Formats: sequence, structure tokens, C-alpha cells
Amino acid sequence: MLKIESLSKTFGKGSNNEKLALNKVNLSLQEGEFVTIIGGNGAGKSTLLNCISGVDETDEGRIILDSVDVTFFPEYKRSVRIGRVFQNPLRGTAYDMTIEENLAIAFAKGKPTGLRPGMTKKDSLLFKEKLELLDLGLEKRMHQKVGLLSGGQRQALTLLMATIVKPKILLLDEHTAALDPTIARKVLNLTRKIVHEEKLCTLMITHNMKASLELGTRTIILHEGQIIMDFQGQERSNMTVDRLIEQFEKRSGAELDNDRMLLG
Amino acid sequence: MKKPLAVIISVLMTLSVFSLTACAPSKAVSANNSGVNKKIGILQIVEHPSLNTIRESLIKELAAKGYKDGENISIDYQNAQGDQTNLKTIAQKFVSNKYDLIVAIATPSAQAVVSETKDIPIVFSACTDPLGSGLVTNMAQPNGNVTGTSDAVSAEKIMDLAKRITPNIIKIGALYNASETNSVSVINNLKDYAKKNNMTVVEGTVTNSSDVQQTVASLVSKVDAIFSPIDNTVASAMPVVAQVANEAKIPVYVGADSMVKDGGLATYGINYAVLGTETADMVVEILQGKKAGDLPVKTMKDMNIYLNKDTSKAIGINFPDDVLKEAAQVFKN
Amino acid sequence: MTFLVLKGSFELGIIYAIMALGVFISFRTLNIPDLSVDGSFVLGAAVSVVMSSGGRPLLGLLIAFIAGCGAGSITALLHTKLKIQPLLAGILTMLALYSLNLKVMGGRANIPLINKATVFSVLEKTALGNYSKLILSLAILLLMLFFLYLFLNTRLGFVLRATGDNDHMVRALGVNTDFVILMGLAISNGLVALSGALIAQSQSYVDIGMGIGMVIIGLASVIIGEVIFGTKSLLRRLIAVVLGAILYRLIIAFALEIGMPSTDLKLVSAVIVALAMAMPVIKKRLSLVKRKLAVTNHEGRQKG
Repeated sequence: MLKIESLSKTFGKGSNNEKLALNKVNLSLQEGEFVTIIGGNGAGKSTLLNCISGVDETDEGRIILDSVDVTFFPEYKRSVRIGRVFQNPLRGTAYDMTIEENLAIAFAKGKPTGLRPGMTKKDSLLFKEKLELLDLGLEKRMHQKVGLLSGGQRQALTLLMATIVKPKILLLDEHTAALDPTIARKVLNLTRKIVHEEKLCTLMITHNMKASLELGTRTIILHEGQIIMDFQGQERSNMTVDRLIEQFEKRSGAELDNDRMLLG
Repeated sequence: MKKPLAVIISVLMTLSVFSLTACAPSKAVSANNSGVNKKIGILQIVEHPSLNTIRESLIKELAAKGYKDGENISIDYQNAQGDQTNLKTIAQKFVSNKYDLIVAIATPSAQAVVSETKDIPIVFSACTDPLGSGLVTNMAQPNGNVTGTSDAVSAEKIMDLAKRITPNIIKIGALYNASETNSVSVINNLKDYAKKNNMTVVEGTVTNSSDVQQTVASLVSKVDAIFSPIDNTVASAMPVVAQVANEAKIPVYVGADSMVKDGGLATYGINYAVLGTETADMVVEILQGKKAGDLPVKTMKDMNIYLNKDTSKAIGINFPDDVLKEAAQVFKN
Repeated sequence: MTFLVLKGSFELGIIYAIMALGVFISFRTLNIPDLSVDGSFVLGAAVSVVMSSGGRPLLGLLIAFIAGCGAGSITALLHTKLKIQPLLAGILTMLALYSLNLKVMGGRANIPLINKATVFSVLEKTALGNYSKLILSLAILLLMLFFLYLFLNTRLGFVLRATGDNDHMVRALGVNTDFVILMGLAISNGLVALSGALIAQSQSYVDIGMGIGMVIIGLASVIIGEVIFGTKSLLRRLIAVVLGAILYRLIIAFALEIGMPSTDLKLVSAVIVALAMAMPVIKKRLSLVKRKLAVTNHEGRQKG
């Protein structure tokens, strides 16, 4: 489904702050695979997702999504096939528009942006059904502005918006990091449910090492712009958090310095 | 590697802009310059029928007196399109091109040039208040390099005419832009006249043409007639002044014939073609050797009555027969 | 206030409301401070007068709208393709329009429309008479309001509103935000130009300086409308903008009635807008003061 070949990205070329964020990364995802990504600060996780979605331009390499080479597509052209949930709950929704209207825009993904009515009664009913599945009571607040929702509700809504039109790949960028633990758990369960039901190919960045081993089928560790560990199947089910840290320090030669990851 | 390139490009762009602006006027002059004696620059603040009339009759009179453009003089006419900064730029260019004489039409043009040179003779035209506008210190003997013709109108004469047409006016609305020195002096005359004649003046000042409609609407209920001098701001919005005043049946007495044409009721004003001719005569005197400072500023003694029949019909007034007979021109459609 | 003054204020307010709607689209909906408004307003007026002089006043309105759309597109392209900051892009367009407008006006800074047919003059001869300006302008305003409301409820309208809120989200949902901004600024300036075109035909002249300060007047109208009439629904917001524009003219007329010289009017505008924008803060302060007083009173009574 997703194939990344020799992807490289440097920030601030030629200046004092030059940083090699991704170093000839190679990655391949099958249809329906659910991969979690962990790594220290500045390892390149968000950059990887930004390059796949087109927010950042790449310096070298190719990105092939569902057999289509999207390397040179602008962001909006790529996002037709991609669903995204951001870390910042404010980034995924339009706060001054209603829940309904936000869903309407998400539902129109891939359809031409013309002068057809933004939302019909039929659409409205469909949105109500989908919101009920989230089990957060949002279906009763469809006419309210998104700005009134809490962070967790927003993320759940963004998740729904990212998947209401089935994407080829779902990109989750630490989407529960800004939420408190109870809500975070709820959103993670929601994620698990939706990914499982729709059989979505998913790439999820998380700082929670436990969650990274529990969710999905495959885990990748990024360090200094390269994939240093990639395991699935038996190897993965036998992995514990302690062993993970041990392996990491051995392979990277560095200490795991991310407090959030160790304690989270 | 990007920075030096950007610097080179910006330097090139600046140079090209400078060379373009420097090139243009000199080309205009040199085209006419082959075997030519005197270079005359004409500076006009804005395109306006009255001002255009002055310029055209000036050029015609110069030709009649033997000074033909392209033969023994070359005329460089520049219009500032109403922009004060443009005016300055053009004035500076005239001076740096060392013209032999500069004609400045209307007060803003004259003010712009006067501050640029003390040597080149300047002849202004249609400056209502040369003293008040700082163009000359003495009307009879200007003494410097500046002289010209004034289109000062007499508020007295206009109001006398007004009383002949609409005898019962007591409250007069003064519609003008207080930042135009040409207007202020005439309005002060109006106030003196009002005092002597048991009339009161209600102020209706505007700062730009967008204010005019609502200011006039507010004035019409408070006055019996409106008076507006040769004010550029009001003149540019004359059509809407007429609209509002006509609807309220209030007569509007103005300072120039063009304002009557655009909808005012009447004026006792000057003939702008004659003004142009008189100005041309002064130019000829200077070209023939006289010093500008020795020529007294000319004011027009010959005033004419201009009337607008459509306006009179709209507000329900009939011009008295003797007024109609005396009128130099009656505008109607 | 006389009836004439009232009528005149409404006439002006209704036509300027069209401009205010345009400013609402760019400043409020798209969240782009578009200063090319000052230039587009005059562009519309110039086109309208030139075409009326040629005997086609109604066509003049249409061409003015299209010309305004063109001006807005330029600002949009400067911003989206050349990555120039929106504020600067608007200023650049406004500058360019100054020269362009003069060209349209044939080099003259002022063109009066005496005795030429305007869209109003035809109606003035009918029974509508002196009310023709009011009625025709109102009809055009309502038409624009209707189309704008419909438009903002289409798919394009939805993403337009969302782009002003959160352009990241819009791009992440597959929509080309550059195109959306282009459409938005085009329509916005088209409305402004139409407003200029109507004013020019109503006042029978166009003057190169008549656009100065238009963007401020538009903003003032939008803000006054929002503060007084609320922002609950989209329709309410649109109507609030219109009412704000009319109210602004009424306030100016009132200030003139009580004898304020027009030189002070700009100060009045600034004070009104400042007050309007500070309204939420003032309300909060007042309620806080009320609570404080209630508490001290209560304590006073308890002690006493």
C-alpha cells in the first residue's frame, strides 16, 4: 500500500541550524497493516508523516501510495487518499463551524468542490449515525460549533472526519498526547475500533511505549532519521518495554532520553 | 549562494527604475529642442474643464503673439492627476531641466513650484488668493520670481446677484474644504458680507468628496441657500451637491462657471479663456525681458453672470428678466 | 433629523452595505486583511461611469463587478503563488489600481455624468420618482445578499469558511486552498467594485480619490453590525453587516446634525469602532464591578 524509497529531508540547509531529519529511509506497508512508530525527540517521526502527507517537501527519495507515485503531488492532491489526525486538537477541525458542517467538508473529500449544496438532509442523517458510533453524545450536538467541544471530543471528531471517506492510509501523529489519560484511552480504543472495522492501513506515532506494543501489528523505532528497529509477529509479541529499551540502547548506541517515553 | 544573487537583482531593478524616470521628461524636451530658444513648462494639478480652458487659451494667445510651440518655444505640459506628490516630482524635474519659464495652473501647482526655485520665472494662473497661499508677499510689486493672474471672485458680487434671484435668503450655508486656502479667503469675505447684510453663515466643511453628500443633506434643512467658492473638493462632487440641494429646493451659488454647468444655480464669475489670455500676455512680457517680480499680479475685473436653467426649473425659481439679459451664458439641456 | 437626511443616509447605507459584505468575505470569512478594497471601489466606479457615458449603465454594473473580481484575483495570486504576505499583496494591488483606474478614466481624475442615463434615471421618470434610488439599491442589495447566502452554503462556500478558520484542515481534506482564496478574494472585490459602481451612478461622478478610507468604513460597518446584532448564525451575520453599514451612515448623519464639523468625523468613526471592539471587555468589566458591589453591600449589611 505504502512504499517509501530512500527518503531524505534536511531542514535549514546552509544555515547554522541545518538538521538532517530523515536519512535515506526505506519503508514498506501492506494493505491493512497497523504500524506504530516510536522514537526520541527529533528522531524524525513527525517529519516522516509530514513528508508522506505532503506538508513538507522531500529532498530525495520517492513515496508511492497505492501504486501511485505521489512524490511530487501538492499536499491537497495527496490528502484525497490520506486521513490525518494531528497532535494539536485545534488543527483538525474548523472551530467556528458546526460539527455537521465539519463532517460535511470531510465527507466531500475527493468530490469536486463546486456549487453543489454543502450538506443535504441525507448527509445529515448519515452523520448522525456515524456520531452515535463514537458514543460521546456528539450526535445530540450536531448544530453546535466545534469550538465548544473539549480536546478529546475534538480528536474523536477529527478521527471520524479522517475516516468517513475511507483513506488509503491513516496517519496518526501522537493524536492522544495532548489529552488527559482517561480521554486518551477512550480515543485510543476508538482508533482501534475504527481501524479494525475499516481495515485501514495505519501509521501511528505514539510516545507511549506500552501502547506502541499493544496496538497494531508492527512497531518501528526511529532514531536520528533512520529506522533502527522494525519488528512484528512473534518477535513483537515477546517484546516487553524493558527489553525494548535495552535493545534500543544497544542498537543506537545512545541512551533513551525521552522522559515521556520512559514514564508514559 | 542565494544572497548575492538577490542583491544583484535588487540593485539592477533600482537602477532601471531610476533610469526610466530620469529618461522620460528629458526625451520630451529634447524632441522639441532642435534649434529652439525657450523651454516653457506648464504644470497643472488635475484635468478639469476650467483649468484646461486656461491652458488652451494661453497656448493660443502665445501663438498669436508669435511664440509657437515647436518653432521658437517648446512647451512641456505635465498633469499631476490630482496627486500632490506627483506635483512635487514634476516641479523638481522642471527645475532640474532648467526651463526658462514655468506656468503653474491652480494654487497647489503654484505652491509646489514656488518652493523649488527662486531663479526661474514662475507665472501662476487661477490662484484665488496669491497672498494667503504664500505665493507673493505683495500683489502690486511681487519682487521675487513669481507673478501671475488670480481668479479671485468676489463673494460680495455673487451674493448681490443671489439677492436679485432669490431675495429672501437669510441663512447661508458655507460649503467648502477648509484645507484649501483658495476657499478660505472667499468664505471670509462671505462672512463679512453676511455681517453687513443681516445674514448668518452656517459652516458646512468637507474633507474629501465622499463627505459631500451627507454634509449637504445635513445643511439643506438649516439654511435658505448654499454658497460654495471655487473649491476643488466641492467642484469634484458638484453633481451630487446639485442632486441633494435640488431635492430640497435650495439654491446653490458657486464661484466658477464650470460649477454652474455641473448643477449650481448661478455665479458672478470670471471668463477662464480670458484668464488664460491675460496669463499668456504676462508670459510674453517676461520672455521679452521683463522681470517677473516687476509685474503686478492681475485680478480679473471683467466678471460675468452664468446661470443654469435646468437647476432653476428643478427648484422652482424663475430668473428675473434683467438678470437673464445680463447673463454671459445660460446652461441648459 | 429631517426626512431628507434620513432618506439620504439609507440610500448611502444600502449601497455601502454591498461593499461591507465584500469586506466581510475577505476580512471575516477568509481572515485575510485585503487592502485592495480602496482601489477596487474606484475601479468599479470608473468602469461604471465610463460605460454610462457610453450609454450602457446596466452593463457598466456587470463589467464593474467582473473588473473587481479581476483585481481580487491579482491580490490572491500575489499571496498564494508568490507567497507575498496578504497585507502587502493588498497594498500592491491597491497601488497598481491607482494607475490602472486613471487609465480607465482616460487620464482624468474626475468624470461627471451630467445628463447621461444611469440605472436610476430610468426609474426616476416612473411613479417611483425620488424613491427610485432607495428601491433599486435595496433590490440589488437583497439580490446580492441572497446569492451570497446561497453561495456560502455550497461546497465551495463551506471550504471558504473553513479556510479562514483552519486552512491546514482544508488542505488535509483534499481541497486546494489556493483556489479557494482566489474565489474568495475575487468575489469580495467584485462586491466592492459593484458598490463603487452604484455610488458613482447615484452621485453622477467618479473621482480618483473616492476610495480613500473605504476599507476602514467597511470594517467599521462589519464590526458595528456584529456587536449590535450578533453572530449566531450565518444569515444573522450577513444581515448584521448590512444593518451595520446603514447604522454607520445614520451615526454620521446624526453627528453632522448636532453640528460636528466633517473634519471630526474620522475621529468619530475611530471612537465608534474602538468602542464596538471593546464591547465584550467592557461588558465583562461591568459585570465584575456589579458583583463586587453586591458583595460589599452584603457584607456591609451583615456588619451593620
